[in-house]
Amino acid sequence: MKLFAKYNRINIAASIAVFLAGCLAFYFVFRYVLTRQIDESLRTEQTEINQYVKEHNQLPEIVEAYDQKISYQLVDKPVQDLRFISQKVKTEKRKRYEDEWIRLLVFGVAVNGKQYEIRVSKSEMETEDLLILILLIAAGMTGLILVMNYFINAFFIRRLWKPFYQSIHAVQQYRLSGQQNLQLPADPIDEFDLLNKSINSMASRIHADYNILKEFTSNAAHEMQTPLAVIINSIDAIIQQEPLLHLVEEPIFTIQKSADKLIRLNQALLLLTRMENRQFESKEEIRADLLVEHKCNELKELITVTGITMEISVVPVTVYLHKYLAEIVFDNLLHNAIRYNIEQGFISIELTERCFSISNASAIPPLDPAKVFQRFYRHPETGPGGNGLGLSIVKQICDLAGYPIHYRYQNTLHTISIAWK
Amino acid sequence: MKILIIEDEPSLNREMVNYLESQQYLCEAVTSYPEALEKIECFLYDCIVLDIMLPGGSGLELLKQLKVDRKTDGVIIISAKGELDDKILGLRLGADDYLTKPFYLPELGMRIEAIIRRKNFQGNTTIEFEEIHVDIAAKVVEVNGQSIVLTPKEYELLLYFIVNKNRVLSKNAITSHLWGDYADSYGSYDFIYTHVKNLRKKLLQAGSADYIHSIYGTGYKFSQK
Repeated sequence: MKLFAKYNRINIAASIAVFLAGCLAFYFVFRYVLTRQIDESLRTEQTEINQYVKEHNQLPEIVEAYDQKISYQLVDKPVQDLRFISQKVKTEKRKRYEDEWIRLLVFGVAVNGKQYEIRVSKSEMETEDLLILILLIAAGMTGLILVMNYFINAFFIRRLWKPFYQSIHAVQQYRLSGQQNLQLPADPIDEFDLLNKSINSMASRIHADYNILKEFTSNAAHEMQTPLAVIINSIDAIIQQEPLLHLVEEPIFTIQKSADKLIRLNQALLLLTRMENRQFESKEEIRADLLVEHKCNELKELITVTGITMEISVVPVTVYLHKYLAEIVFDNLLHNAIRYNIEQGFISIELTERCFSISNASAIPPLDPAKVFQRFYRHPETGPGGNGLGLSIVKQICDLAGYPIHYRYQNTLHTISIAWK
Repeated sequence: MKILIIEDEPSLNREMVNYLESQQYLCEAVTSYPEALEKIECFLYDCIVLDIMLPGGSGLELLKQLKVDRKTDGVIIISAKGELDDKILGLRLGADDYLTKPFYLPELGMRIEAIIRRKNFQGNTTIEFEEIHVDIAAKVVEVNGQSIVLTPKEYELLLYFIVNKNRVLSKNAITSHLWGDYADSYGSYDFIYTHVKNLRKKLLQAGSADYIHSIYGTGYKFSQK
């Protein structure tokens, strides 16, 4: 629910409650005033009757008057006090019986020693009409409040909140790895200005930290290159000492393998930091079909040696990528397909105008599509070799180029596909 | 063949000197920009191994100086940076090749050999080892004058062996040469074994002596012995 909708809901409920309370108060005040008016006229009637009795010593004749009724009744005991009563009675109106509120004055008069109870009543129709009127006004005003709110909402609130949504949009579009810092504009509305300023300062702090971290990763990876070169070449010097080699063969081999792994890892990290530093912005048109065929040719010998069957189907397709990155994409995918294959395995490569997909058989069970492109994600059953960065590099390249990439497992085949369109 | 090594990391510098001297090259080594400048101004080398990041200046400045002096020394850049832009800039400034650290020394040997071959023989591009004769331009291998058919990887392997003859070559160095960045793709070294086995078989069938020696589990050595 939107903040304003929530505020509006409370606001409207409160307005309506106050309004209804006001209407109720009006109703009671008016009713009181009108009742007093009726009572007044009933009292005048009483005075007139009393006057008449005093003068003529007999009860006046009953004259029918509009919404006023008088009746006399002989009683045994004298009526003590006068009473005002409101009651509902059935009256005939246009040949229909209707309930009607009346105001009744009961008082006693003695005529020639006989006690009479006299009832003078007046209709309270006006009071009833008033109630209906007030209710109508209340309903009308409530409706008016709702309609007005709708228009305010539609025309003003949206405009009022515009800077807020602009800021949100800018924040959503913001990429930390982008070169530009987030700069939200100043706003005349205090709250939005505060929001923008706070976001700006937070973004610039995060950006600074991110840059430091990025620089650190890049520097660390670079600084490791020379020591790694020293390590592998010192090992190379050791293995030239053939007479001694049989004594140290085992540990030397282990060191070599680990150093090699470290080198690949470092290279992958360097590539990732370079991509994050946007060093591969320049894109060019690449004939994906030629590149795929070239890469397959390069690996043909290896594939033959491993006894893997490869099916290739390509059509001429031009994609838009940095050349170096395009090579890495196909290299990584092809090498993965070979590395995780089984003996006498199977690879299928399909390049169409819409997508590139590569499937391979493997002993590894289906992978989690949510994790497969994560850095250093490795399935527990994955053997040694590989550093868990290959697919995340491919994913990052595809993200950079705006090509969606997907993993799926179907018919015992692991498939990675990149959509060109 | 005279080679100048310009590298500020002393241990790497020493390893390169040791390796290249074992390959019958004459080596001079310096570790800083001023020393390097003095050497390239005064002498002519067949190949210069040049690190970019040097105390006292950039290796790229030395390249510019070589160009100004109209020197024809072959230059191979070895750099920890490996940035694409650096590489392109280096090659544009007249370097012949670019090798990113870390690299295996036999790989450096291959590159230096190729540079010197291109510079000195101008088209005459053959390498010989006893009865084995490799025509690099035509990619043809002959044993006792009889040509043999090798797959591309077997050919690469043979060339690597001959250039780095009499040296124990680790499996890592060989895989790295044959498959570059993807050397580790293949958990085991079985593929190397397969290629070596096939190459040896073809050479023996053509009447060559057995020059490929397996050195324990470490690697191979190409020598007469």
